[in-house]
Amino acid sequence: MATMSVTEQALNTYVRETGGWIASQLEACTRCGMCAEACHFYVATGNPEYTPIWKVELVRRAYEQRFTLIGKIKQALGFEKPVTDEDLRHWAELDYYACTMCNRCSMVCPMGIQLADLIHEARAGLFEAGLIPSDLKAALDKQIEEGSPLGADDETFDDRLEWIEDDWDVEFPMDKEGADVLLVFSSIEIMKFPDNLAAIAKILDAGGVNWTLSKEGREVTNFGLYAGSDELEMLIADRVIRAAKRLGVKRVVVSECGHAYDALRFRAANLRGEKLPFEVVHITQVIGELVESGRIKLKAGAFENGKVTFHDACKIQRRGGDFEQPREVLKILAGDRFVEMTPNREEAWCCGGGGGVIAIQDADEVRRAAFTIKIDQINAAGATTVAMTCSNCRLQFLDCVDHFNLNWNVTGLAQMVADALVEEG
Amino acid sequence: MPERETIYEVLQKRGVTRRDFLKMTILLTGALGLEYSQVERVRVALETKPRVPVIWLEFQDCAGCTESISRSQNPTLTSLVLNDLTIEYHETLMAAAGFQAEGAKEAAMEQYYGEYVLVVEGSIPQGAGGVYCTVGGRTALDILRETAEGAFAVIAVGNCASFGGLPKASPNPTDAVGVMELVTDKPVINIPGCPAIPEAMTNTIAHIIALGSIPELDYLKRPMAFYSHTIHDRCLRRGFYEAGLFADSFGDEGYRKGYCLYKLGCKGPTTYNACSSLKWNGGTSFPVESGHPCLGCSEPNFWDNGGFYQGQSAPLQRPEVSVVGIAAGAGVVLGAGAAALNASAKKKAREQAKAASHQKEEEKEE
Amino acid sequence: MNPSDLMRLARGPLFYFALLFFIAGMLYRLTRVVGFGWKKDLTKPKKSKIAGSLLAFVKSVIIWPFIPRVEGSLKRNLVAYFAGGLFHLALFLVVFLGAAHMLVWKSLLGFGWPTLPLPVVDWLAAAGIVALLVLFINRLVNPVLRTISHAAEYLNLLFVFLPMLTGFFLTHHLLLPYEAMFALHVLSVDWLLIWIPLSRISHFVFYFFSKAIYGAEFARRGAQP
Ligand code: SF4
Ligand code: SF4
Ligand code: SF4
Repeated sequence: MATMSVTEQALNTYVRETGGWIASQLEACTRCGMCAEACHFYVATGNPEYTPIWKVELVRRAYEQRFTLIGKIKQALGFEKPVTDEDLRHWAELDYYACTMCNRCSMVCPMGIQLADLIHEARAGLFEAGLIPSDLKAALDKQIEEGSPLGADDETFDDRLEWIEDDWDVEFPMDKEGADVLLVFSSIEIMKFPDNLAAIAKILDAGGVNWTLSKEGREVTNFGLYAGSDELEMLIADRVIRAAKRLGVKRVVVSECGHAYDALRFRAANLRGEKLPFEVVHITQVIGELVESGRIKLKAGAFENGKVTFHDACKIQRRGGDFEQPREVLKILAGDRFVEMTPNREEAWCCGGGGGVIAIQDADEVRRAAFTIKIDQINAAGATTVAMTCSNCRLQFLDCVDHFNLNWNVTGLAQMVADALVEEG
Repeated sequence: MPERETIYEVLQKRGVTRRDFLKMTILLTGALGLEYSQVERVRVALETKPRVPVIWLEFQDCAGCTESISRSQNPTLTSLVLNDLTIEYHETLMAAAGFQAEGAKEAAMEQYYGEYVLVVEGSIPQGAGGVYCTVGGRTALDILRETAEGAFAVIAVGNCASFGGLPKASPNPTDAVGVMELVTDKPVINIPGCPAIPEAMTNTIAHIIALGSIPELDYLKRPMAFYSHTIHDRCLRRGFYEAGLFADSFGDEGYRKGYCLYKLGCKGPTTYNACSSLKWNGGTSFPVESGHPCLGCSEPNFWDNGGFYQGQSAPLQRPEVSVVGIAAGAGVVLGAGAAALNASAKKKAREQAKAASHQKEEEKEE
Repeated sequence: MNPSDLMRLARGPLFYFALLFFIAGMLYRLTRVVGFGWKKDLTKPKKSKIAGSLLAFVKSVIIWPFIPRVEGSLKRNLVAYFAGGLFHLALFLVVFLGAAHMLVWKSLLGFGWPTLPLPVVDWLAAAGIVALLVLFINRLVNPVLRTISHAAEYLNLLFVFLPMLTGFFLTHHLLLPYEAMFALHVLSVDWLLIWIPLSRISHFVFYFFSKAIYGAEFARRGAQP
């Protein structure tokens, strides 16, 4: 069989992936352009090509040209341009560099179109056509082969854990039979935020949770999702799912990583075509439960330096629903020195680093530009400390704090909680 | 050929005094819608123009327009047109009948060839060679063709003669048409209405015989003097229309208050006629004034323009539920067909992708 | 062909055909889209998806008609909000509550309803026309809209504009005799009925899909739509 051209491969993907869910939303768009004003990439740069629905253009074209009569007529009459390799390369930049899959745009769209999912679909075609940015590809390959995009292979993983256990005085149970909870980290935490690992271990221990890590399913970060490959996304998620099944846990707790949570909590069952035999929750929810039930006690007013605000992560808050737990915690820790940004919760602005964007070097410029919105928001709120529940956001914050020379303290919620734990005697 | 009498001479013979004649001239000028300065022109015309006769033919009609004209309320004009000068032949009104009458008509046609005015009432059936309407064994088609040939102008009175009227109503079994479909080589003037307003008829006839010219016409060949405004334009209920105050049914409160009849199917907005200004029976009233929506009787396709009590804006046909069902069904079936095609396209794409990934793997293994 | 014949053609067979085409076309499109197949959601929803969908509709109709209120998005989309909103509002009020239009519905459905006074309808129509013009100009000058618009988007505006304009001229007896304008008005509506199933104007159907999906998706993920 002759190999398919790049374009054909992409279009082929769109054709085979289009279901009623996608089709009905493509049909609903009125091309009003309002979604542009929701997207931090457009708002920060003013580049009209960053309009969310424009990022879906390839999918729309494939849909109309392959599936609709009128699209075929339009194409025959020359109103519809066929998709070219050149187009694909162009949209590869739009879709990978300038979308964090935050879905903020869907809230502004009068039709409520799930634009992030459609853009994810656009990425799927680009991925099949081999147009994934090279650094993202490298990380993906690494995750497939070594088990971690950031290089936490078996050996490194063990080394890091050992080091953390020693330095932070915690213990990481590994593949413990009979555990109720399987805790899975993101590679960012393992490699960049070891304190987070320690903090989460402390919290779970303090709460009396019977938990374990697993060697096989140690990492929940999912570059398959970023890339837009369902197949690889499944392959990666399967590692965790297998481990959880083998250990027979009731719950898988995803640590501070948004996309990983999305993949495991809201996508994996559908991709596999079967319900998962365990519950997937985010550590934010666990913290909320432990605090609320009184199983851990926090020192009220533990936070003392200026004002703290909370950054809603796209995948954990807007697309994960864990809005209130972090706020409850921060109110305990900081009292009325906890301030909100506007807008917040569902309407919060994205940090600009998610969706794999932060892993793409060529996207640095737009990524940092998008962050300027966050700067204004946080300054307006008057906060100097920003807490969040996603390590990917945190990485973006740290990079931009450094780049823009900001005098902020960036922290994870788990860490703040661990620091404020009151040991019960 | 004897020297022909002028109109003035004819009137003189009937005992009209000079004084009465001048009065009549002034009245006629007014009735024709001319300015006062034109009185002189009318007088000269009446004094110098020879009298021309009118031949009035009836085909598929109900004689309603004849009824109507005989009740014209302008005495001067009526007597002028009906009695004094003109009508040489009119089957319903003349005393003579049979071959005698036909003979008089033929004589007039010959004597006044090219000058007489032909008035037609009723539509002309063309179907089956025209046999649906015959007079003295001859078809209306034939009679019209023959009579129109020597006429100076043809006036079609009533909706039937103008546009086919009731006989032409769908399905038009006799293939009836109005005069203007058949007479194309000379001026045709339409005075539609069911019946036509008497003054519109008398004035137009008077105009032609007095001035020897064709009055200004609209695109449907209707005299502008009577057909340049819609009923709605000059309707006394118009204020209610503008304010959105409508009668919703006959006898309801709005109806009793004299509100606009639009929702009861009034065709006033698209009907050009003089009812709302001239009114009927000497200016007594007209349908809308007396509580009935305008039927649109002076418009083409009068009978096929939607029900009398159906809104003027309403579509003419309402698809039957079964037809809608068929259309909907066809849509669903075609949609399902498209869905099936799309599903097979998706399947093909899936197979291609599988083949491609196999190939990739094989390459890798090698 | 005189205006009267044209009017009959437009109100009669053409409207009849256009209406059936519209019904068949919309159902065709609906079936085609539904026929793509739907995957069952196997994840455990955080909140009730049905409640989420309902909430999405309620919010988008009652709280702020059709256009979601997200902090800052009003200010950033003023033209789309107000011209778009006004256009839709005017269109629906005129089409359903104008006396002449109600009679059309009545003749099709068999029952009627009270209508608005003509001056009100008239002002609404004028506002709708102005709003549409504003939307058109906005599409021409706004870089985002220029980027995402294809020829079809401009045609949509044109084909909606024609009935509005002829309708307005009609009631004001402008330009052409009433019945000629009436014929053009109905003709443009006939064409619109044919055009809708072929174009994005049919968004009023798929709106119900996307909005339901939106509500379900947000509820499934534990957020408020
Ligand atoms: S999902 Fe977020 S980043 Fe992507 S287009 Fe929408 S608003 Fe922009
Ligand atoms: S806001 Fe929604 S309807 Fe408008 S252009 Fe964007 S995706 Fe389309
Ligand atoms: S009654 Fe008829 S003619 Fe009079 S205003 Fe109403 S619609 Fe017009």
